Amino acid sequence: MHAEAKQHDFEPKIVAFVCTWCTYAGADLAGTSRMQYPANVRVLKFPCTGRIDPVFILRAFQKGADGVLVSGCHPGDCHYMAGNFHARRRFAAFRALLDFVGVDLHRLQFSWVSAAEGGKWVEVVTELTERVRAMGPMLEFKSLEHEEQWSAFQAMADVPGVVNTPELKEAYDKI
Amino acid sequence: MNAKANKNQSSCIEPSYYQAVTQAIRTQAVQVLKDGTVAGVVGYLPGRRKGTARPALITTPEEAEKLIFSPACVNNLSVYLTKSKKGVLKQGRIGIVAKGCDMRALAGLMGESQIKREDLFIIAVDCAGVYGSRAERSESVTEANIARKCHECTVHHPEGADFVAGAATELSGLTPLEAEEMARIEALPQAERWAFWKEHFSRCIRCMACRQVCPFCYCEQCLCDKNRPQAVENSPRPAGNTAWHIVRAMHLAGRCGGCAECERVCPMDIPLNLLNRRMAKELKELYDYEAGLAPAEKGPLNQYKEDDDQSFIK
Ligand code: SF4
Ligand code: SF4
Ligand code: SF4
Repeated sequence: MHAEAKQHDFEPKIVAFVCTWCTYAGADLAGTSRMQYPANVRVLKFPCTGRIDPVFILRAFQKGADGVLVSGCHPGDCHYMAGNFHARRRFAAFRALLDFVGVDLHRLQFSWVSAAEGGKWVEVVTELTERVRAMGPMLEFKSLEHEEQWSAFQAMADVPGVVNTPELKEAYDKI
Repeated sequence: MNAKANKNQSSCIEPSYYQAVTQAIRTQAVQVLKDGTVAGVVGYLPGRRKGTARPALITTPEEAEKLIFSPACVNNLSVYLTKSKKGVLKQGRIGIVAKGCDMRALAGLMGESQIKREDLFIIAVDCAGVYGSRAERSESVTEANIARKCHECTVHHPEGADFVAGAATELSGLTPLEAEEMARIEALPQAERWAFWKEHFSRCIRCMACRQVCPFCYCEQCLCDKNRPQAVENSPRPAGNTAWHIVRAMHLAGRCGGCAECERVCPMDIPLNLLNRRMAKELKELYDYEAGLAPAEKGPLNQYKEDDDQSFIK
């Protein structure tokens, strides 16, 4: 039976980067076992967590994701022996960098979900979705997409030495 | 000598020290060129304007007599040995003038199999600091005009070189400006950190000078130049800029030796070395790794331990 559908004010977009051998199979298991989990998640399949470049995560945020999940095989279970070990270090560093730059790490979740853990997949996805829903839309990266170089100059209109004449502003607004 | 500069110095190095280093470099360069140890020497020549220097490839003993070392010798010359600046190393063994921070880049490049130790003759300089950008170029280096990176330098007595020119006194009593700035940013609330970097990244004009000058950005094709598929937007707009800076910091993590060349060449004064240093600090804390102290076959991000921290993974 389907649970009763709830209406929410905000449906977050969650992008999940998963490895094909464990988490994708785990998510598949959740599906074939008819477990319910939020439809907010868009799953992208990769050969291995080691193939998931941090730039993919940036791009997901830029293109409108409110939360990102990266998930793969448990340590020791990697199909390619060590891909997830390398990914673990890379993402530890990447998290520190994002934090330093001022990104809220609550929007970025890492997890190990094996092919047998359909239940854990549901749990991880539900938890992330609800957390991001409570946080509201991720605006930082998205708003950058609509900004131009000159918007920074406009904000500095009163700073001495910054050329910001009405003519320039008019020309800018016409672009 | 400039009296004003004299007042706020804590470790002022006399111009005579640089003359002594210059002399030692010349003598050594002439010798290795004469006896055929090296085919050329990458070093510094005087620049056209007073108080400047420029990188040069020297191939004759006569030219080597013109080599200098001064506080204006800011460039990290190791970049000329990488494949992004094709050609220099094809001429056989090569000499290079290197400060301590440049030696870290050389060690890193050796670790990454970009250059071989036996192809190099390293003329190291026991460095007493170089000018910062926009520094007033008085005759000596003082706390007021020394580069930011030199404030916290731990490698100014170089090790493992073929020849060391000079023996500088300690650089002491300098405020660790970058560490303080990093601590300040880390202590800001998250939204303010974002605002801080957003302002800086928005100004970036994507001239890519920071990439061209970096000894470790030797990729034949930079990820940020790719357009099928495009990974990072390459026009200078805030969105692409932010991605570029995060990608750059990520690619240099665990490799960057902190020469701060990227920050020096940036025409928009973006504090790139803060990002580099933040990553270096993280990798030191997590994996006890410091880049460029010795050639290492594997950096912290291409090796692993089974029991690495995974507290952030559910
Ligand atoms: S930014 Fe990255 S891809 Fe580009 S040249 Fe540097 S290391 Fe290579
Ligand atoms: S990233 Fe900057 S500080 Fe680090 S090695 Fe490259 S140029 Fe030097
Ligand atoms: S040198 Fe400065 S302005 Fe140029 S691309 Fe690098 S950060 Fe941007």
